[in-house]
Amino acid sequence: MLLEAHQVSRAFGSFLALSGAELELAEGEIVGLIGPNGAGKSTFFNCLSGDLQPTSGRILFAGSEVTRATPEAHARLGIGRTFQVPATFEEMSILDNVMVGAFLRHPARGEAREAARRIVEFAGLDRLRDQPARSLGTPGRKRLEIARVLASEPRLILLDEALAGLNPVEIQEAIALVRRIHARGITLVIVEHIMEVILSLTGRVLVFNQGRTIASGKPRDIVDHPAVIEAYLGQRRQRRRRE
Amino acid sequence: MRWGWLAIAVALLLYPWILTGPFYERMGADLLLAAIAAAAWNILGGYAGQISVGHAVFYGIGAYVPLLVYTHWQLPPVLGIPAGILVSLAVAAVIGVPTFRLQGHYFSMATIAVAELVRIVVGNWDFVGAAIGLMGPAVPRSLLDLSFKSAVPYYYIFLAVLAAILALTAHLERGRMGYYWRAIRAGERAARSLGVPVRRYKLWALLLSAGFTSLAGSLYALMVGFVDPESAFGILVSVEMIITAALGGVGTLLGPLLGAAILVPLKATTNSLFGGGGSGLTYILYGGIILLLARFEPGGLIELSRRIATRSLKKAKARAA
Ligand SMILES: Nc1ncnc2c1ncn2[C@@H]1O[C@H](COP(=O)(O)OP(=O)(O)O)[C@@H](O)[C@H]1O
Ligand SMILES: [Mg+2]
Repeated sequence: MLLEAHQVSRAFGSFLALSGAELELAEGEIVGLIGPNGAGKSTFFNCLSGDLQPTSGRILFAGSEVTRATPEAHARLGIGRTFQVPATFEEMSILDNVMVGAFLRHPARGEAREAARRIVEFAGLDRLRDQPARSLGTPGRKRLEIARVLASEPRLILLDEALAGLNPVEIQEAIALVRRIHARGITLVIVEHIMEVILSLTGRVLVFNQGRTIASGKPRDIVDHPAVIEAYLGQRRQRRRRE
Repeated sequence: MRWGWLAIAVALLLYPWILTGPFYERMGADLLLAAIAAAAWNILGGYAGQISVGHAVFYGIGAYVPLLVYTHWQLPPVLGIPAGILVSLAVAAVIGVPTFRLQGHYFSMATIAVAELVRIVVGNWDFVGAAIGLMGPAVPRSLLDLSFKSAVPYYYIFLAVLAAILALTAHLERGRMGYYWRAIRAGERAARSLGVPVRRYKLWALLLSAGFTSLAGSLYALMVGFVDPESAFGILVSVEMIITAALGGVGTLLGPLLGAAILVPLKATTNSLFGGGGSGLTYILYGGIILLLARFEPGGLIELSRRIATRSLKKAKARAA
């Protein structure tokens, strides 16, 4: 197993945002993580990336315990992530943003620059390379975050709504990009609301509701799972039925 | 860009030959000293984005230790420079570990508190001259005392030090250190997610910054030959470093020198017009600069000139089209 999360819980004060989350991830998988807003998906990612310490539970990555490791230690071990609200380095150029990631494995400036150039091209951002990150819109920022984390050469990437706010064309491009990342041998966990993305990319889906896993399985089956319909798709279906 | 630096270097080398006389010579030395201190502050406050309002601590230590070794052991004050740097580094490490847990304004406020505490302690500590302060050698005993009547020798010493600091900063700016500092300034959470050891790199910035600020304080004490708690540890000392760097442009190589080149002559003029009573005016001047920067151009003069340059470039292009 590349990643094992056992009974991971996280409380904010007396509020349990995540209660007993379970995830076993084999190398090379793409797993989807869905659930309504506030279900605890981002909190789970924060625990998996060292950004938040779980209140209880254990997390193992490539066989070693990482439950209480720092975010930078997670990055060094090979767990990368993007943020739901993009956190690009606004005043720095796109290439420089990616170089920050590249410096993790390439301490020398010249090598980091070369590695970053390749990634920027891979992510289709080379035309904008010297623009400051603040000149990008939300879709561009999300793409830059993906490029930046790729440059840190992770084994696992956690994508937190990296495709939200994209138009249909951009979504197709982003799906293609994720496929190419996967083809490099990188394992992915994807939080996404757009069913089309989940259906076309993932081999397995986990459904969260109120901090718990309420269902898991093949994407096709999940869509018809009663608990999922109830928790997540229910409102929309009911709305459609009424129309 | 390279030609710009060459022009600046030539102008600075020739300055004492062009503007002669005690007033201009002293102003030139003051200008370089302000640039050194601001460049030192800029490493932590500009590049790494940790706004310290307590750098007077390091400046004060740097200023006091050379005169302390002279007062108590009759040693040449220069010998106090490395000692001052070592004390500053130790103090920086002790202050840095707890204060770096704080973010943004809280960090800044903590640095003010530490600096004011140190100023009060120094002002009541007889060993370091308490409220009176310390004097250097009245007459130079040897060249080693580095006590000159003219400001010109200081000018060239300061110029060499400034060149060294800017060269080192330029080198670090281009490498991993500089990238990590800018990433930390832009967003610690994202930086950490990319493997940036934030605490360690902040500490590096603080140590470099504190060491050079200490050196600036020592150079000040060598030239002036006298220090007291207010002139070495006063909050105005920290504020001057910040305003000088901010006026030129924080986190830029040239910013501190540019800021000093405007601020120091301005201050010298107001002081000579209004005598020693000009210090009240200094506060008003600083307040005004802070307001203008905050309202119109937080990036300082470098950012302003960059913006004007791109705007006129666009206009020229539009006209051509
Ligand atoms: N830092 C925090 N402090 C307090 N409550 C939080 C914090 N982060 C998340 N929460 C709460 O935890 C719950 C889960 O949030 P989140 O993990 O962001 O959900 P999702 O990503 O599934 O939309 C929400 O109710 C949210 O308000
Ligand atoms: Mg979320």
